[in-house]
Amino acid sequence: MHEMSVAVEVCRMTEMQVGLQRLPDVVEVGLEVGDEAGVEIANLEFCLEALLAHPPFGRGRPAIRRCGGDVLRLDYLEVDDDDPDD
Amino acid sequence: MTIRTIEVRERVMAKNDEIAAGVREDLAAHGVTALNLVSSPGTGKTALLERTLDALGDEITMAVVTGDVQTQNDAERLARRTDQLVQAVITNGACHLDARQVQVALDKIDLDRTDLVIVENVGNLVCPASWDLGEHAKVVLFSVTEGEDKPVKYPKMFRQARYAAVTKMDLLPHLDFNLDQAVAWARAINPDLWFFFTSALTGEGLDEWFDFLRGLVPQRSAVA
Repeated sequence: MHEMSVAVEVCRMTEMQVGLQRLPDVVEVGLEVGDEAGVEIANLEFCLEALLAHPPFGRGRPAIRRCGGDVLRLDYLEVDDDDPDD
Repeated sequence: MTIRTIEVRERVMAKNDEIAAGVREDLAAHGVTALNLVSSPGTGKTALLERTLDALGDEITMAVVTGDVQTQNDAERLARRTDQLVQAVITNGACHLDARQVQVALDKIDLDRTDLVIVENVGNLVCPASWDLGEHAKVVLFSVTEGEDKPVKYPKMFRQARYAAVTKMDLLPHLDFNLDQAVAWARAINPDLWFFFTSALTGEGLDEWFDFLRGLVPQRSAVA
């Protein structure tokens, strides 16, 4: 449940970065999670996979890198910039 | 497919922490101290608050914010003990309170007429450790029925807390609970942890707890 709250916040941050209209184009969400962050990585990954697979997302996947300390950070986003109308 | 990488490098808790900072600022502007009570389910947070409201209700203007996954049972129990405001937050499945929920709860509290806010968090020793609510300090409770190794099992919570209360002390003679070991493990994680040893049933240790709370409240009457 805690991980779902974190996943929802990651989705909100992603929307702030790319805007609602571009959420379907997000293909990867990169996170850093520290050993002492109090987050179960497999659980967070499951929650993000569930959220990113459905609208307003669609084809995003999480990429979680484990690190030291209590870091819990949205590191990067990968967005498909191809315009299907081109 | 043309992939563009956007560097974000932003803390996931940044927004919560920003709201928490606002809560802290608001409380400070009104001279109000806030404590965040955290523990496993069933440790006795509500029982301690019941005794606190009974003892200090006429002396200190307290507002309580209770967090529960479902039901307002704790809030209703406390509301029977006080005419002062008890604000219930039902998290609907979430395992912790967040700063926005506390901010909304505080909006309903007249801080000009409040000395002390006590937040009774959702019973959980993992998740609430990660969420700053704007409180001045966390008070972690663990009972003698839970095992003395709670601090080493949940180090983040004990590291974040400034105060600890070992509860249900009346049961200690009946249990194989090593109190010295529990305190030693907790202090190994957080050497500055200040302890209370309480029983809401017998009243053991409650005078120290009440004196501590009195010490948190500004002397408004002396100023007036």
